[in-house]
Amino acid sequence: METILLFAPLVGALVAGFGWRMIGQTGAQVAATAMLFLACILSWAVFLGFDGETYTVPLFTWIESGTLFTDWAIRIDRLTAIMLIVITSVSALVHLYSFGYMAHDENFKDGESYRPRFFAYLSFFTFAMLMLVTADNLLQLFFGWEGVGVASYLLIGFYFRKPSAGAAAMKAFIVNRVGDFGFLLGIFALFWMTDSIQFDVILPMGAELAQMTITFLGMELNAAETIAFLLFIGAMGKSAQLLLHTWLPDAMEGPTPVSALIHAATMVTAGVFLVCRMSPIIEYAPMAGNFIIIIGAVTAFFAATVGLVQNDIKRVIAYSTCSQLGYMFVAAGVGVYSVAMFHLFTHAFFKAMLFLGAGSVIHAMHHEQDMRNYGGLRKKIPLTFWAMMIGTLAITGVGIPTTYFGFAGFFSKDAVVESAFAFGGDLGQFAFWSLIVAAVFTSFYSWRLIFLTFFGEPRGSKHTHEHAHESPWTMLAPLGVLAVGAVFSGVVWYNSFFGHTDEVGRFFGVPYAQEEHVEEGAHGATDEAHAAADTHATESAESAEGDHGYAHYNLVGAPGEGAIHAAPDNNILNEAHEVPYWVKWSPFFAMLLGFVVAFWFYIVNPSLPRRLAESQRPLYQFLLNKWYFDEAYDFLFVRPARALGRFLWKGGDGAVIDGGINGLALGIIPFFTRLAGRAQSGYIFTYAFAMVLGLVVLVTWVTLRAGG
Amino acid sequence: MIGADLSILIPEIVLAVFAMAAMLAAVYTSKDAVAPALTWGTALIFVVMAFYIAVTGEGVRVGFNGGFVDDGFARFAKITILLSAAAILIVGIEFMQKSDLLRFEYPILVTLSVIGMMVMVSSGDLIVLYVGLELQSLALYVIASLRRDSVRSTEAGLKYFILGALSSGLLLYGASLVYGFAGTTQFAGIIETATAGEMPVGLLIGLVFLISGLAFKVSAAPFHMWTPDVYEGAPTPVTALLATAPKVAAVALFARVVHDAFGGAVGEWQQVVALLAVLSMFLGSIAAIGQTDIKRLMAYSSIGHMGFALMGLAAGTEQGVEAMLIYIAIYVTMNIGTFSFILSMEKDGRHVTDISALSSFASREGGKALALLVLMFSLAGVPPLVGFFGKYAVLFAAVEAGMAWLAIAGVIASVIGAYYYLRIVYLMYFGEDREGLDGRMGLVTYAGLMAMAALIALAWLPGLNLLGLEGMAAAAAQTLVR
Amino acid sequence: MTIGLEHYLTVAAALFVIGIFGIFLNRKNVIVILMSIELMLLAVNINLVAFSAFLGDLTGQVFTLFVLTVAAAEAAIGLAILVCFFRNRGTIAVEDVSNMKG
Repeated sequence: METILLFAPLVGALVAGFGWRMIGQTGAQVAATAMLFLACILSWAVFLGFDGETYTVPLFTWIESGTLFTDWAIRIDRLTAIMLIVITSVSALVHLYSFGYMAHDENFKDGESYRPRFFAYLSFFTFAMLMLVTADNLLQLFFGWEGVGVASYLLIGFYFRKPSAGAAAMKAFIVNRVGDFGFLLGIFALFWMTDSIQFDVILPMGAELAQMTITFLGMELNAAETIAFLLFIGAMGKSAQLLLHTWLPDAMEGPTPVSALIHAATMVTAGVFLVCRMSPIIEYAPMAGNFIIIIGAVTAFFAATVGLVQNDIKRVIAYSTCSQLGYMFVAAGVGVYSVAMFHLFTHAFFKAMLFLGAGSVIHAMHHEQDMRNYGGLRKKIPLTFWAMMIGTLAITGVGIPTTYFGFAGFFSKDAVVESAFAFGGDLGQFAFWSLIVAAVFTSFYSWRLIFLTFFGEPRGSKHTHEHAHESPWTMLAPLGVLAVGAVFSGVVWYNSFFGHTDEVGRFFGVPYAQEEHVEEGAHGATDEAHAAADTHATESAESAEGDHGYAHYNLVGAPGEGAIHAAPDNNILNEAHEVPYWVKWSPFFAMLLGFVVAFWFYIVNPSLPRRLAESQRPLYQFLLNKWYFDEAYDFLFVRPARALGRFLWKGGDGAVIDGGINGLALGIIPFFTRLAGRAQSGYIFTYAFAMVLGLVVLVTWVTLRAGG
Repeated sequence: MIGADLSILIPEIVLAVFAMAAMLAAVYTSKDAVAPALTWGTALIFVVMAFYIAVTGEGVRVGFNGGFVDDGFARFAKITILLSAAAILIVGIEFMQKSDLLRFEYPILVTLSVIGMMVMVSSGDLIVLYVGLELQSLALYVIASLRRDSVRSTEAGLKYFILGALSSGLLLYGASLVYGFAGTTQFAGIIETATAGEMPVGLLIGLVFLISGLAFKVSAAPFHMWTPDVYEGAPTPVTALLATAPKVAAVALFARVVHDAFGGAVGEWQQVVALLAVLSMFLGSIAAIGQTDIKRLMAYSSIGHMGFALMGLAAGTEQGVEAMLIYIAIYVTMNIGTFSFILSMEKDGRHVTDISALSSFASREGGKALALLVLMFSLAGVPPLVGFFGKYAVLFAAVEAGMAWLAIAGVIASVIGAYYYLRIVYLMYFGEDREGLDGRMGLVTYAGLMAMAALIALAWLPGLNLLGLEGMAAAAAQTLVR
Repeated sequence: MTIGLEHYLTVAAALFVIGIFGIFLNRKNVIVILMSIELMLLAVNINLVAFSAFLGDLTGQVFTLFVLTVAAAEAAIGLAILVCFFRNRGTIAVEDVSNMKG
């Protein structure tokens, strides 16, 4: 079943990509989509049937070289199962959605068959992403990692006639190389220290790695810290975290379904997945963990501020994605990986939905993407409007704290915020307040998007507005399905991801024990739990539950046991449930504040934003230009690189290498060729003389060597 | 006792008796009319003998007081010699018939030459070595000038003869010095003197003379000068023969002398062989670039390839000998295929050897062009074709033996050498000239070309593993290097 | 003065070098080259016989007999090829044996 699941998208991609001439364009689309739905159904079967016990399905041997032994194998644990349903569900819906969205495209000439190619890329992406999450070793994961990078590159640059699309594709690829370099170094370091890249081997070694050191350039580096840090560099690139985030907004040059699938729901969350997957090592690297928190928190804040002033509807959502990824990393950094996965899970639904909704708007408005030219679209495209509303309610986190009423984002975002607060210390406070402020901004820009698009007076081209039309059912149906996810995915799985520790432990297949046992001696409890790992709960835990009904548990799995890991002293999951009430309510008020301000700015007094922007011109420009990151990078890296490249091209390549090779090939070697030809005079005495000369030289040389 | 000695010699005796009988039979019958049948018969008996050696040979058998050695190494070389000679005889028949060259002496002389080669690779004594070498050479001198009415063919024979005699003289002089300073002509005795303490200078000089003589036979630079002229002048089937079986024999003999007689003094000859290897590789690559005649080009190509084979020998290790055997076997296979093609090069019914005649050949004869492309790529050492594995084996052996500089030189030489192989491919596929070869090709030649090309193109596949060549070569090398 | 091994070896070496020089200094006649080759082989024979006597070992003399035999065969074949060449080319000047070069 897992094998079919994994390879169905590949089959779809191959059929659509190479076989469309035989089965026709529509046939190719249908084939790819059908394969994806098959994968989707199987994924849900795997997810719902999964009992928490990690298992692997070996496919075939890949590399056997020295101590490096690598199989192609499918590793299924809870993390994988979650990612499977996220990927295949969103991907299947995006495939369906693309039927409508890609039906006509003015970027291509009449008669050009771009649709099979698009579907092939989408399916290939899905395959690579599945390969990434089902990997049972780092090399296979890296294969998928690069595979999605390639697919992303191809899809961002799908409108290959647009120079901006080509540039954006290159930018995404190159920025990701920076991260991948770190990631590769991390893999090398890990292999160097543990002699393996199999998860089964490396994950249990987290605690041991913390005791080891890597000597590099005379520096003594803690192995666990270094590896965790390097791996996180890779995650930063893929998940567009601060410093390596610049590619994500530009990636919106791709078709909107691509943005929904790759740059919102799946690929960009690969970094979060990686951090969670490597949790047994990150847990023993507190400094790297702190670094993750800082980056995550700053990204969440930074991206939210930029999102405030963007006018392109897709860019707003892109920055929103960037910001939400920051939330996830904060959760992972503080050590509550289940919450990171929770936010990843819910975010996939509502963010994909927002993107697809935006796509629907763009489709209705004839590929107009500037929100300043929207307005009053509520009546024209009511279904899209309601879908976007649900998405916005979900992303802003609407819900009633301390109860089980709320949209998906409400649960997961609150979980992140509470975890950050529970982490404590200055860093916890910093993260907490960053996230709260980011939540205010999130609410503001999300509502701003809604108000600008669907309320007020129509702006921009009158013609476009008159012809605005609701999208076909292939585009609306995915919105409907995702809406269900955006509403219910939080409440249904709340307890599994962020319930009491025992529920989380059971969900993720991590052994847990009652807190008293831990206090007696962490080691004893760990061993005991280890022995009883198959049953997922010690007997004492069962009885304790019967006695109290509300007992404290701790995750006590050894590293590598179960899908995620918590260090023995990591109790944040419990503490997060006991934060003060004002903390629990704070995201709610942040959401409310953002909504009120947005309402005031764009419904009550629409002229206010302009006046504010003019009065605070420097700040506005600063935000509008995304904190000048692109300009700074241009100055710091792009121009020097270009200068260096030009120098190497003209000076190094042109003069030295071309000159050298040409000189060698066209000058020196023909010279010797002529020489050899002349030596071959045709006269016997020349030949004999050459032989004798050779003999004399050899005899002289050998005798001298023997004598001396 | 003599019976036991003779039993070792059975393949050679059978071939010798066959040669004599064939000569008598041909003389007293219709002479040249029996030549085709005789050629086929000779090829057949070669193949039978190869099988006989492969099946019956086992262990190390020494006869004639150590003068004649039958071990795994000798058997590997003999089988390669017999099979390649048989293949060359068969693919050459059509050409010989067409150019009225198929006289009954031809297969008989080839048989005698092959006997000489077999004696060479089995020799355990300088006298046996000399006699075998001369038997091989004298027969080849005659075959090279087989086309008696052609200036070029007789000139080729004359040059080959004079320079060959000179090299024999050098070798003999070396042999006499070795005998004088070692007190014996037997390899088993020489190696004792060579390994006991410091080697006498006389023995050392004798060794260098011996190596020079052998270098002539393998056409290693600077003793290579005869090769291009003889290859060009000799009738094409003879050229094909010269490029294959005698090369195997010479290289094997080279290995036998330096390892069997001077095995303990690797340091003394290693540098000399390495120097010969480097010179040959570079000369073969560089000089071939200027050639317009494909037979001459193949001559330089064979010089370069012999350089690579000597590189394996220069490693001075068992692995090196193994690599050398692998290399030479692959080289022979590629050459049989290539010469099958060259034999069929005709324009307006006349044999041509000008490279420019290949122009745009691929547009007319896709299959044959593809086969030649495979062979050329393999000769150039392009992975994953089999030729690459031969190069890889010798380079690896050289590096393992601590001669990385030699391996690097080899890589550079093969990059230069790739140019002229690829030029042929370029001409075939992108040549401008529409006037080219006739596509006609005899069935046997065609079969030879295609079979060798298929072997080269496919034998590296994981399931085939070069048809077990590595294992056989390893077993052979093991018996030589102790 | 007693004639020792070194004297024989010196004579042989001198003859051998003369033979070699005969091959590549002579530009007139191929027959002279054949004679030079014969000279080289005979020099080797002197070597072998001298060593044989010095070592008290018969192998060298056996070797000499083989060399003599082979030299005879070689001369025969050389002359035969030369005759063929002469028929085609009409000359046996060494400088004219140079149709092929490069």
